[in-house]
Amino acid sequence: MSILNSITKSRVWRSFFRHGWPDNPLDRSLIMTTNVFFHLHPVKVNLKSIKATYSLGLGILTVASFISLALTGIMLMFYYVPSVERAFPDIVALQNSVPFGQLFRNMHRWGAHLMVLTCVLHMARVFYTGAYKPPREFNWVIGVVLLILTLGASFTGYLLPWDQLAYWAITVGTSIASYEPVMGALIKKILLGGPEVGQASLTRFYGLHIMVIPALLFLLISLHMWRVRKDGGLAANDLDVAPAEDAQK
Amino acid sequence: MADQSPQKEAFPKGSVKTYNLVEVVRGRTNMIEKGPDNTIFAFPIVAILELLIALGTGAFLVLFSLVKNAPLEDLANPLVTTDPAKAPWYFMGLQEMLEHAHPLISGIILPGVMVLFVMAIPYLDNSRVGSGRWFTSARGKKITLWTTIYTTIIMPTYIVIDNLFPPRELLRGILPDFVAQSLIPVIILAIIVLLPVAVLMRSKPNAREVMLVLFTVLFISAVIFTLSGFLFRGPGFKLYWPWDMPNGYNPLNNL
Repeated sequence: MSILNSITKSRVWRSFFRHGWPDNPLDRSLIMTTNVFFHLHPVKVNLKSIKATYSLGLGILTVASFISLALTGIMLMFYYVPSVERAFPDIVALQNSVPFGQLFRNMHRWGAHLMVLTCVLHMARVFYTGAYKPPREFNWVIGVVLLILTLGASFTGYLLPWDQLAYWAITVGTSIASYEPVMGALIKKILLGGPEVGQASLTRFYGLHIMVIPALLFLLISLHMWRVRKDGGLAANDLDVAPAEDAQK
Repeated sequence: MADQSPQKEAFPKGSVKTYNLVEVVRGRTNMIEKGPDNTIFAFPIVAILELLIALGTGAFLVLFSLVKNAPLEDLANPLVTTDPAKAPWYFMGLQEMLEHAHPLISGIILPGVMVLFVMAIPYLDNSRVGSGRWFTSARGKKITLWTTIYTTIIMPTYIVIDNLFPPRELLRGILPDFVAQSLIPVIILAIIVLLPVAVLMRSKPNAREVMLVLFTVLFISAVIFTLSGFLFRGPGFKLYWPWDMPNGYNPLNNL
């Protein structure tokens, strides 16, 4: 214990952490307010809001799959070139000759499906627990935008293996946009960079997939979680006051 | 009990006071009427729960990835169309809808209306009552249950009947295209969606209960349309049982 003490009391350690060992109320408050990762959380939580049957942990699950997608995505980027000549052979080589290549690709694929699924389920949970109600209205809107971005991330990634499945799924998917009479043809052209799926589309989808959409997701997920705290934590915190307000209405 | 003189100011100005009552605002602070015994420090319990969920997600992904490989078909070939050609699974609800109305309606206008409706929910139902409680009330639970049963029965029925007797095809040339392709499908879908709302209206619902019906119809329909498009559409985008597809087509390979 004295070794631990001498470490946590040292000047180096104290320059990292601006709070003492979090075993007392003051330091457990300070760890939340002075740490950039923890500050998205409130200092205290209502016991009801951490019950598994309340939130089902779906929001955190979505973030967890997003993080695993970012990590496995970086691994895939090291072995993948987004050109119509190289994309497909790169994926084959990744699977056959890169150590754990197949595993990382599988994790990235199933993680993407998992993230879409948990995102949708999280939205249903928030709706059915009435957690979109004031003052959380705008956070609900951010959540809907996050769902659309998640679909966009998955859709742009779908093209990258450049196999028949990818090619025709994106051809079908983008043709839906072209039914819009005013902007449809333009949107399709901007997405694909040409009249049909080709090298320009692959370049654009790759750029959107690895940079634009993840950056937006990162920004909006941070905003989304920070607002949960700013709006009073999970809506289960409100339960204790609901009867009094029922009487007011 | 010395302060009973009627002239006594409720908030007298005092020379030692550095604050003053400026205005009375209706509302409450965050923690009012909440027993302090009901809250605990977020650290470390929240950090531990989050870590456990993250580790569980990672472990699940690794195990699942060891069991099932991501699909990879032949090199993309613009000259050889796959049959069926399907969008990713989460857009299969959209692709299924395209079978039932003019693409402008089913591919653009209806999805647009749905997204706008979902975004608008907190502004349509802005009462704070029941926030943080599953289904708000026992009545809300019942409404959700009945709407789920209703949607689970009527939407597959609609898909099958509309597929057997598609008004878009049967009325082609008899009625103007706009009526057969757009107006009739929209009227049928509007009746399906608004019927439970009409039933609910007879018992004077609040905004939350109307939202429960509309969101449940939308959510369950989205699930059913997605399943129908993803699992039950085979070659030629015709309806088959998932285990009985022609040409050895397996819809699960499209993941």
